[in-house]
Amino acid sequence: MKRRTFLAVSGVVPAVFGSCARQARPYPGRDIKLVVQAAPGGLSDTVSRVIASQMEPSLGVPVVCENKPGAAGALAFSFVSRKPADGYTLGHAPVELAILKTLGYTSVTPETVDPLCLVSKTRPVLVVRAASDAASFPALVDALRKRPGYYIAGNSGTGSIWHLNTLLMEQALQLKLVHVPFGGSSASITNLMGGHIDLAVMGVGEALPQIRAGSLRALAVFDVDRTPLLAETPSVAELGHSFGAVAWSGFFAPKGIPDEARQRLQPAFRAAFDSALFQEVCQERAMEPVYLDSQEFSQFARQQAAFFATRVPSLLGVGA
Amino acid sequence: MEALATGFTAILQPMVLLYLMGGLLMGALFGALPGLTATMGVALLTPITFWLNAEEGMAMLLGIYCGAIPAGGVPALLLNIPGTPASIAASWDGYPLSQRGEAGLALGINSVFGFIGQVTSVLFLAIAAFPIASFSLRFGPPEYFALALFGISLMAGVSGNQMAKGMLSGMLGLLVSTIGLDPMMAVARFTFGQAEFYDGIAFVPVMIGLFGVGEVFHQMLTDGASARVGSSPATPPAVLGRVLPDWAAWKRMLVPGAIGSGVGTVVGAIPAAGGDIAAVICWEQTRRLSRKPEEFGKGSIEGLAASTTACNSAIGGAMTTMLTLGIPGDAPSAILIGALLIHGVQPGPLLFRDNPALVYSIIGLMVLAALLIAVLGVVAARPLAAALRVPKPWLWTAILLLSVVGSYALSNAITDVWVMLAAGLLGLAFRWLQIPLGPLVLGLILGPMMESNLRRALILSRGDWESIFLRPIVAFLVVAALLSLVWPLIQRYRSGRKPRDPLPGPGESGG
Repeated sequence: MKRRTFLAVSGVVPAVFGSCARQARPYPGRDIKLVVQAAPGGLSDTVSRVIASQMEPSLGVPVVCENKPGAAGALAFSFVSRKPADGYTLGHAPVELAILKTLGYTSVTPETVDPLCLVSKTRPVLVVRAASDAASFPALVDALRKRPGYYIAGNSGTGSIWHLNTLLMEQALQLKLVHVPFGGSSASITNLMGGHIDLAVMGVGEALPQIRAGSLRALAVFDVDRTPLLAETPSVAELGHSFGAVAWSGFFAPKGIPDEARQRLQPAFRAAFDSALFQEVCQERAMEPVYLDSQEFSQFARQQAAFFATRVPSLLGVGA
Repeated sequence: MEALATGFTAILQPMVLLYLMGGLLMGALFGALPGLTATMGVALLTPITFWLNAEEGMAMLLGIYCGAIPAGGVPALLLNIPGTPASIAASWDGYPLSQRGEAGLALGINSVFGFIGQVTSVLFLAIAAFPIASFSLRFGPPEYFALALFGISLMAGVSGNQMAKGMLSGMLGLLVSTIGLDPMMAVARFTFGQAEFYDGIAFVPVMIGLFGVGEVFHQMLTDGASARVGSSPATPPAVLGRVLPDWAAWKRMLVPGAIGSGVGTVVGAIPAAGGDIAAVICWEQTRRLSRKPEEFGKGSIEGLAASTTACNSAIGGAMTTMLTLGIPGDAPSAILIGALLIHGVQPGPLLFRDNPALVYSIIGLMVLAALLIAVLGVVAARPLAAALRVPKPWLWTAILLLSVVGSYALSNAITDVWVMLAAGLLGLAFRWLQIPLGPLVLGLILGPMMESNLRRALILSRGDWESIFLRPIVAFLVVAALLSLVWPLIQRYRSGRKPRDPLPGPGESGG
């Protein structure tokens, strides 16, 4: 409770009084707020809290995480992009930042904010039950082709990154699947293990525990190369296909933050990325640590937004 | 046996016990404050455990989980505001009981039966982990739909003798639950284009508003005059009553406690069905089996015992699914999985084979946590119940303040505060019109579960209704749902035919 009240109050007080006191000290002169678009406990929250805690030594001020879940992240993106661009309000930037405008949830895109850095990525993996007849990806595709509209694919919600990946596969290989949206990947896993659905695409980290326990089988990773986390599982590129979209985790600020702030934040993010704790958390939660600085991340995020803007309308069958 | 010994000695260390105690106290705080839930407590304190070893970190997190649920009962009993969703059903009997001057007994039952629920469910975990867990895997979308349907059918029972009004309230809950992006195609419904409503109306602010703020508004309007005078007749009787139940009470609560433990464990083990649903189901089933069903909702100790045991035994059920299958049984255990992974513990079937000592450590920690929180609850009953002797205007102010902070803290959104206040006004109106509140909450919680799983089930069966209802678990639950809808009518018919029965008073106020 104390912590929550503190979070609530520390969010309000600097916002009201801080704006008067600004400019007085060199950046950072007070607490920095990092807005997370998801509820406490998930991957976005873990990444943000670990990075925030590891930035504090280099910045010398507390970096306080605040969770603002809702509308797949749109609420948090809109909230942060409306804040003054002074470097005291930052946001966690997941792949949804590049998707949600196309879905009509928000007007915020990587173009309308200042991307700061990317710290990790999670690749999509296609999994089936361990008892499934499909021993390999080509075998599965054969089966899917033989009975169009028969096999059932679970996903973590219509328009979610794993649903889009399933649709990308369906389009690229000209398959016809039945899609069932669940509340999240863990529900897909339960339903796969219970035999209620036939296949699902999800983040490697989400499926890895059950793959290692032998209750799920990974057939292919939707990327150009294999992931070190699943060294035995082929990538779709090896199998002669090119489709897939990875999920990622980065950070952004409202458009137009001062150079002074950017120059202080850049090394702080890098130091947090290099910290033993972050690397360890990536290992445990099966994310792949990848660092892109603000210029590289801006370019990457824009490419991603352009990719989703051209592909999503035809995938979901919505008007462009 | 060697694993058993290793497991237990690993936890009997001063530092581990200290972190367990610390976790329990933090959990009690998160549980007792409305709007702050067990899930949130576990999530926010997980990062702190990064710096601890596995036993210490687990002790702290399990302490939070096991401490929050019984503590959530305290505001439910004393103030009619469930501290966590799990305590909704506990407030139905617990609040009238403490209003009758038996706050001590209410708190005592909350502690003692909370302990019974936690310990029996952990014993289930130790003995029958794998059968329970594999049963829970048989729950696909059709079964979840049937479970929700069964839960919704309890509306009739929860309404007391205000059947029509109860149905009205429940239907309103179902309607409100359709607000937001639809669970299948993500089409916005009744959101007026506001992204704030895309995820629907969160039920925690609604719950705080209906039960807490609505009650405060009601008391302000009815007791306001006498409270303002300053003479203290408006304060409730200072009698605390006994804390531990006597032998006669024990005998009456034995069967409800047993039902609560069994059903609570199984419902808790089913992923995504937690203590709140378990408690409502047990409360209603116990009412039906009771010799004094008319007391339920008016301070029945049987009703309180059933709901308390059920919501606490859901903890062991959820942990069973989590440890055996690596699948969370409810929201706090979903976060516990993440925390255990950080400590290099991989929940799943292999855990029992590769690291049985750790499983025994977890079981030992949970039994210890249950014991400590029960003792704490009994000892703290008197000081806690003193809250009722605080002058009412102070109490109202404190509740309103907590309600605003709690609804905001849920997801740092001001929209939730407005929703909470609107629900408060609705709660006030319902109290005036004598419309029961329970069915509305039931509709709001179960509506999305029923809708999304029916639609999923129909996708899976390709639109074939028959094959859905022919599944054994579905058929069982649907028949049970029909019976629970028809049962009150049969009862009325039977009591109408008995000439010896005195005429029931027509205007008894319902829960």
